[in-house]
Amino acid sequence: MSYQVVSNLEQVLSALKNRGENSRIIAGGTDLFLEKLPEKLLDISALAEALVIEERGGTMLIGAAVTHARAVASPLLAKKVKALTEACAQVGSPQVRNLGTLGGNVINAAPAADAAVALAALGAKAELIHYSGNTRTVEIEELYAGFNCSAIDSCQELLLRFVVNSSDSGSGSAFARLAARKSLALPLANAAAWLRVEHNCLQEVRLVVAPVKPAPTRLFKTESLLVGRPLIAESWREAAGAAMDEVEVRGSLLRCSADYRRHLIGVLVGRVLETAAGRALTAKGEA
Amino acid sequence: MQKEQICFTLNGETIEVYTDPTISLLRLLRDELGLTGTKEGCGEGECGACTVILDGMAVNSCLVPAGKAKNRSVLTIESLAKGDKYHPLQEAFVEKGAVQCGFCSPGMIMSAYALLQESSEPTSIEIRTAISGNLCRCSGYKQIEEAVLSAAEKLKNRGESG
Repeated sequence: MSYQVVSNLEQVLSALKNRGENSRIIAGGTDLFLEKLPEKLLDISALAEALVIEERGGTMLIGAAVTHARAVASPLLAKKVKALTEACAQVGSPQVRNLGTLGGNVINAAPAADAAVALAALGAKAELIHYSGNTRTVEIEELYAGFNCSAIDSCQELLLRFVVNSSDSGSGSAFARLAARKSLALPLANAAAWLRVEHNCLQEVRLVVAPVKPAPTRLFKTESLLVGRPLIAESWREAAGAAMDEVEVRGSLLRCSADYRRHLIGVLVGRVLETAAGRALTAKGEA
Repeated sequence: MQKEQICFTLNGETIEVYTDPTISLLRLLRDELGLTGTKEGCGEGECGACTVILDGMAVNSCLVPAGKAKNRSVLTIESLAKGDKYHPLQEAFVEKGAVQCGFCSPGMIMSAYALLQESSEPTSIEIRTAISGNLCRCSGYKQIEEAVLSAAEKLKNRGESG
């Protein structure tokens, strides 16, 4: 057993390369620590490159080792990617949010992880570095190999940061969930929307809900129905109905029935669209 | 199991331990350092009984690998009383009846302590949020909320911050 807190990127890559498959990256550890741990752990929670929160030329860079608590406290994220702020504020508990990271929320690959759902709606892409030095940039939804199974091999590859386009004027985002309790509870369902408004009509929409598939699930049909629609209650009602038709959900004895979850997804879709549209109008007013 | 040297600050004192870095900080504190004030409830981050302060932040010590504490600062419930003098939070918990079985109290108090470091005049909502990761199964939360408010006032009157 070994546990190394790594402080620079080269150190991480060379350790992954030299130690082989017994070596794995760990960050907050709130999920991983409850599983059987590999022999050698590389803790990246102090890796400067994975801790950035900054806007560079119309792109938000959000480090994978940023904790949920830090994300919630960032005024820049609240201004530019509000859905992410809202999602992070509802993860676990204060103690878990102080440890757990955005990268971990995605790599743990739970089907309704709040931050991952928000990131998918925001169109975030993940930047990964293999120990060979090769890099790739991938959409959030492509990082899932199955239920609770990530497509990222943390013995070989580091998820460094997320990039989100923040240059669109007149855009807004929102996240909502329902859980049995206000904290320390996984959601029965969650939803996030990003949209762009022009002349009081929807120009672009990304709508994501979970748990539907292993990965956060885009509702492409509902999105296309919304494009060109005015920002009125009727649009949100129709979208809620379309979302209920579009999703194929499963029920669970532990949380709720499939019918209830479908209904809930409709309600949450209506709410996030309305809130995101309000924010897009406010953003336009400020621009 | 391979042990290694871990140096960190515990309750204000720099210490060095020789331990398996992949055991939890909770195990290290309780079993190897004898600090049994920190409680183990669920052991999986769901109850908050094991809450300690890591570099100023409340964390579940059951979810923290001991190796993560390296070169960092850890505060446990044992750091609060100064000799015979209890911390205002501890006094307030007793005065307001916020303790029944007492098992959640150390974790609850450490979460409240983290809050009072950030905010000297917390609102009810801030208090409820701060302790939302701590389960109490007997006292109910009302007395706990009142105790934290009362401790904040005591600290303010004494011109202290925690």
